[in-house]
Amino acid sequence: MKRGKPFLEVFASAVHEDYRFPILEIFVFFYALGTFALASFGSALSTMGASEEAVAYSLASSVLGTPLFVFLILIIKNLAYGLGSDIEKGVIQTYLSYPLKRSRILSAKLLSAIGLSLLILLGIQIPALYLLAPGIVASHFGAVLLTYAANLSPILFISGIMLLVTLIVRRGGLALVFGIILYFAFSIVSSMLMFTAFATKSSTILQILSVFYPSTALSRYYGMQFYPGIEEVWVPTFQEVALYIGASYLITIFTFAIAYIYFCRRFSV
Amino acid sequence: MPMVVAENLVKSYGKVKAVDGLNLTIDKGSVTGLIGPNGAGKTTTIKMILGLLKPDSGWVEVFGQNPWDNPEIRDLIGVVHEKAFFPSHQRTIDYLRRACRIFGVSESRAFEVLKLVDLQEASDRAIKALSAGMLQKFAIAHALINQPQLVIADEMTANLDPQSRSALLDLVLRLNKDEGVTFLLSSHILPELSRVCDSVAIINRGKVWAFGKLAELYEKYGAGIVRISTDRPVELSEEIKGLPFIEKLAADARGISVKVAKGREEEFYEYVSKLARKVNAKIHGIETGSASLEELYRLVVGANKLGETI
Repeated sequence: MKRGKPFLEVFASAVHEDYRFPILEIFVFFYALGTFALASFGSALSTMGASEEAVAYSLASSVLGTPLFVFLILIIKNLAYGLGSDIEKGVIQTYLSYPLKRSRILSAKLLSAIGLSLLILLGIQIPALYLLAPGIVASHFGAVLLTYAANLSPILFISGIMLLVTLIVRRGGLALVFGIILYFAFSIVSSMLMFTAFATKSSTILQILSVFYPSTALSRYYGMQFYPGIEEVWVPTFQEVALYIGASYLITIFTFAIAYIYFCRRFSV
Repeated sequence: MPMVVAENLVKSYGKVKAVDGLNLTIDKGSVTGLIGPNGAGKTTTIKMILGLLKPDSGWVEVFGQNPWDNPEIRDLIGVVHEKAFFPSHQRTIDYLRRACRIFGVSESRAFEVLKLVDLQEASDRAIKALSAGMLQKFAIAHALINQPQLVIADEMTANLDPQSRSALLDLVLRLNKDEGVTFLLSSHILPELSRVCDSVAIINRGKVWAFGKLAELYEKYGAGIVRISTDRPVELSEEIKGLPFIEKLAADARGISVKVAKGREEEFYEYVSKLARKVNAKIHGIETGSASLEELYRLVVGANKLGETI
C-alpha cells in the first residue's frame, strides 16, 4: 500500500477546526487592531533621545502589548477546545487509530494551535514594524528579534504548562479555566515581584523574575524604567540578557518535553 | 494463522482490574465475537489490541508486531470505536478523502465506502449534522477506507435501525467471504453475532471464560439444554443449583436454562416437580433443545457466578 501523508492531514484537519470561520478573521482583526491602534507609542517616543537600538526595542515592545494578550487567548482557546475537547470527545482516539506516531499527532496539533497563531502574529507585526519605522527596524532587526524572543517565552511557557494540564485533565472546559487562572496568576505574581524588587532594591528578585520573564532583563538592559523616577537597581550586560532568554526557553522546552513524553508513553484513550 | 495474539494481558485503572490475565487468538479470515457484560473488559481489550492502551503486563501482537510500538500496522486495520468522533465541522466526504490521503488510497474510495453503508446522500453534510445512526454508519465507512485486512469494531451496530443492522451484517459476511477480511466484533446484541461469527470469546471480569468455534461451544455448553418456564425462576433456580448433576445453570425473568449431566435427564424432571412444589412455583413448560448464543453466554457467565455448586 502506498504511504499517505498522515502528519500533514492531521495538521490540516486541526487547522480546519481551530481556525474555522470566523475565528481566524476575528483574531487577525484583533492582532491588527492591537498592532496599529492600541500600541503604546508613548513609551517609544520617550526613548527618542536614546540609542537607535533602544528605540527599535521600544517600538517592538509597544506594538507587542495587546497582540501578545490576543496571542495567549488564541493559544488557550486552541489548546482547550482544539486539544482538550478532542481528547474529551474522542477525536484524538480517531487520530491515534491512524498509522502515525503519537509524537507526530501531538506535533500536528501544536503546530496548528501554537505555531500557526505565532505565524499570524509575526506575519502582521513584522511588516507593521517595517511600515512604522523602516530605517530603525531594518538596521536593528536583531534587537527586534530579541524583544520578540524575550516577550514570547513566558507565553510559550504558560502554553507548555497548559498543554501538560490539558493532557492530564482531558477536559476542554477545565483546561480553559486552568489556562486563564494560570495567566492571571503569572501576571499578578510577576507584578508583585517587580514591586517588591524595587521596594527592597533587590536585584536578586529581578534576576529570578528574568528567568521566567526575560523581558525584565531586556528592558533593564535598554534602560527602560518600570517606575520612572525610581533609582534602577539592576542593569544586566548583553550576555546576561542572552543567558536569561536562553534559560527561559530551556524551561519552556523542558515543559513541552514532559508533555510529549507523557503523551507518547503514558497517555491512553 | 493467528492475526491477533494476546497473552496474559493485564490492565488496571487504579484499583480496578479491567483486564486480568486475558488470552485471545484471532485467526486470519475469522469473524470473532467478543461478548460479555458491561465492564467485562471488552473495550479495554480492544484498545490494547489497537495499541491505544499499554498493558500493565502481558503482551499483544497484531500482524506479528506490538501495536503500541508499531503504529504502521494500523495501515492494515479498520477501527470502529464504541463512541465514534471525528472533527465535527468537516463534510463527511471531505473527511473521508482526508482519510484516503492518510492511508495513501485513491480518493475515489471515499464515495465508495459511503455507498457501501448507504450514506452517499449525506456526503455533503457536515459531520456534526449527522444523526447518531448516520454517524455510526460514517464510522463504519471510515473503518473500511483503507481496505483493511482486519476490522475491529466495538458495538458496531449501536444506534442503527433494524434494516441498517441487517445490511451491515450482510456486508460483514460479504467482506469476510469475498475479500477474506478478518473481523473482531464486540457487541451486546447476541443474535447478530450468532449470525455472522464463526468464533466467540466470552469475557467476564477481565478474563476469557469461554473461547472457541461457535459450533464447539454449542457442543460443549449448549447441547441438551433444558428450559424451564416458571413464575418463580429465582427461587426455583436456587433449589435446582443444589442438585449434584447440574453442569450449568442460568436464570432470568422468563425462566431457567439448565445443562444436565448426560443420562440424568429423567431424574432431573422428577426433582424439578418436587422442588417447584417446595418453593410454590408454577411450571408453565419444560423443553429440551440446543442453546441460543444468548443462553450459551448466560450459561457460561452464570455458571461461574454460582461457583463450586455448578
